[in-house]
Amino acid sequence: MATLEVKNLHVEIEDEERKTKKEILKGVNLEMKTGEIHAIMGPNGTGKSTLSQTIMGQSNYHVTEGDILLNGESILEMPVDERARKGLFLAMQYPAEIQGVTNAEFLRAAINARRPENDKISVMDFLKELDKNLELLDMSQKMTERYLNEGFSGGEKKRNEILQLLMIKPNFALLDEIDSGLDIDALKVVSKGVNSMRGDNFGALIITHYQRLLNYIQPDVVHVMMGGRIVKNGPADLALKLEKEGYAGLRDELGLDVKLVDED
Amino acid sequence: MTPDKLVQIATENNEPEWFVQKRRMALDVMDELPLPEIQRFDFHNWQMTPDVSQKIRTSLQPNQNFVLTDIFDAINEYPELLQKYYMQKVIKPDENKFTAYHTAFMNQGIFLYVPKNTVIEDPIEINLEQNSQAPFISHILIVAEENTQFSFIQKMTTTGDQSAIANCIVEIVAQANSNIKYAAVDELGENVTSYLSRRAYVGQNAYVDWSIGMMNSGNTIADFDTDLYGEGSHSEIKVVDITSGRQQQGINTRVTNYGKHSIGHINQRGVIMDRSRLIFNGIGHIINGASGSNAEQQNRVLMMSSKAHGDANPILLIDENDVIAGHAASVGQVDQKQLYYLMSRGIDKKTAQRLVIRGFLGDVLVSIPSKQIREQLIQTIERKLENGQQVSENSK
Ligand SMILES: Nc1ncnc2c1ncn2[C@@H]1O[C@H](COP(=O)(O)OP(=O)(O)OP(=O)(O)O)[C@@H](O)[C@H]1O
Ligand SMILES: [Mg+2]
Repeated sequence: MATLEVKNLHVEIEDEERKTKKEILKGVNLEMKTGEIHAIMGPNGTGKSTLSQTIMGQSNYHVTEGDILLNGESILEMPVDERARKGLFLAMQYPAEIQGVTNAEFLRAAINARRPENDKISVMDFLKELDKNLELLDMSQKMTERYLNEGFSGGEKKRNEILQLLMIKPNFALLDEIDSGLDIDALKVVSKGVNSMRGDNFGALIITHYQRLLNYIQPDVVHVMMGGRIVKNGPADLALKLEKEGYAGLRDELGLDVKLVDED
Repeated sequence: MTPDKLVQIATENNEPEWFVQKRRMALDVMDELPLPEIQRFDFHNWQMTPDVSQKIRTSLQPNQNFVLTDIFDAINEYPELLQKYYMQKVIKPDENKFTAYHTAFMNQGIFLYVPKNTVIEDPIEINLEQNSQAPFISHILIVAEENTQFSFIQKMTTTGDQSAIANCIVEIVAQANSNIKYAAVDELGENVTSYLSRRAYVGQNAYVDWSIGMMNSGNTIADFDTDLYGEGSHSEIKVVDITSGRQQQGINTRVTNYGKHSIGHINQRGVIMDRSRLIFNGIGHIINGASGSNAEQQNRVLMMSSKAHGDANPILLIDENDVIAGHAASVGQVDQKQLYYLMSRGIDKKTAQRLVIRGFLGDVLVSIPSKQIREQLIQTIERKLENGQQVSENSK
């Protein structure tokens, strides 16, 4: 069993134009184990992507207080690639595009990055695994010969993030709005992909705005984030309640002093 | 070298009188001629004109449908064609000191003649191996008659590691409605100082596609020229260049639109590592009368080190009103967002950097028509980048 703990995490970001610093995460606490699926919901601009990017190690986000522990070990000093090799994976809200590097070549490089020099994956094994996952995600072989995310539609990019997840098999996946922009069939396919990973060696943190995704991927815990903190934890049906009552309702119920984006 | 000695060597090599005289005249004017002009790049103290006496013969597979032969055989077997085209129609001996030197001392070469209405399915592949013990003055003359279509792939490598010079000229005559793809992967060695001049004369509705992988490890100056003479003539010029160590490279890539409705696009990408220097001059010249023509260029360089020097310098000279012309140039750093994305999948920083660089070169690489050349070039790029990363590591 692996664990991921976020302890009293404070994160700042520097506004490059105005040269000012802004605190975005204001003391986030979260504990996850493999075998569990967690969901995070929360209004726009509240810091959900910031949390996932900070866990992954994106260098624009500066941790000013608190810690992130993977299996009890602090990862704050580790570069991004090392965190990934230790078992973290982030499906990004906006994946990068790289022309000239094929999807297949990239996937192989990512798999081999986790293996010792003298034990790289064979072409046969790689293709076998790839075919299996392509089939599961209802993707065509052609997608893997195309350049990484280049010219992919929004939905294709999301599917491609999940393909990477299935190929890389991390311990913890952070899935940032993996459902946004997906049609209903694609939503089912993507959920099927994530569900196929479920098991003792896999945990996920799913960031979403829509309860609908959670019908397909049943979470064990739902966290609500507002104003840079997790303000409420609950079982799966917390998402249903939120969908009905909105964030303003919850805020007032908790007596929080948080401004929501659409109130600006 | 004295003119008498030059004449003697040429005559011993069985060269006809007109050819010997051409050498001799070039030798006569060589010293008075200026160096080629490469803006923002100083190479006046490069030693590029040693005496040459040795000739290098090239053996090639004969073919029924076209002529592909050693240039010294060609001078005797196809004298009219050679007299008409060799350093005559496309590049002239007296353009600068190095073209004159080339004419005087040319010691290796290939002649390709493709007769009218010939389509060659398989690419013609030429591997030039320069031996670092002698100067390499190499000439490729390609004459494509009307309605021809073919691809020509040229690779160039060095054996040995002595200091040497290379002066390589490629002339392409693309007659009306011909369609030619020329791909070059240049991998001259670290101690080879080279001058590369490649130029095409493009006739009516003819098309010339250049894909050039400048992977030399030594100092290089290059002139890549396309003269769009014919109405509706068209050329796409793609150059990918990587410099590392203390290498110096100055590249002129020029298109001149003479013909109405002619189209010339330049797309150059350079990666500059360590303490190397790379200057890209993209020159678009539209001659008065070339109405409806189109000249566009992109020159981009990526700086991988703060000690590197790079410049992307677009030069547009437009003497006609009714045209479309444009340019884009940039000098930048590795795309951090791409680097992060790759690293977030566990790929180590150096490998990720190489992939991001590939992404930067991507839009030039993907437009290289032959998959085979593309893959070879990618391998070469990978190797060169790895070596470059190693060099930077060691010099830290
Ligand atoms: N790189 C950045 N530069 C400047 N501001 C940033 C940056 N990243 C995040 N922010 C700011 O931090 C706040 C939180 O952003 P974040 O992307 O984490 O929100 P989110 O909860 O993921 O929102 P959404 O639901 O819209 O995706 C926002 O006000 C945002 O503008
Ligand atoms: Mg977000």
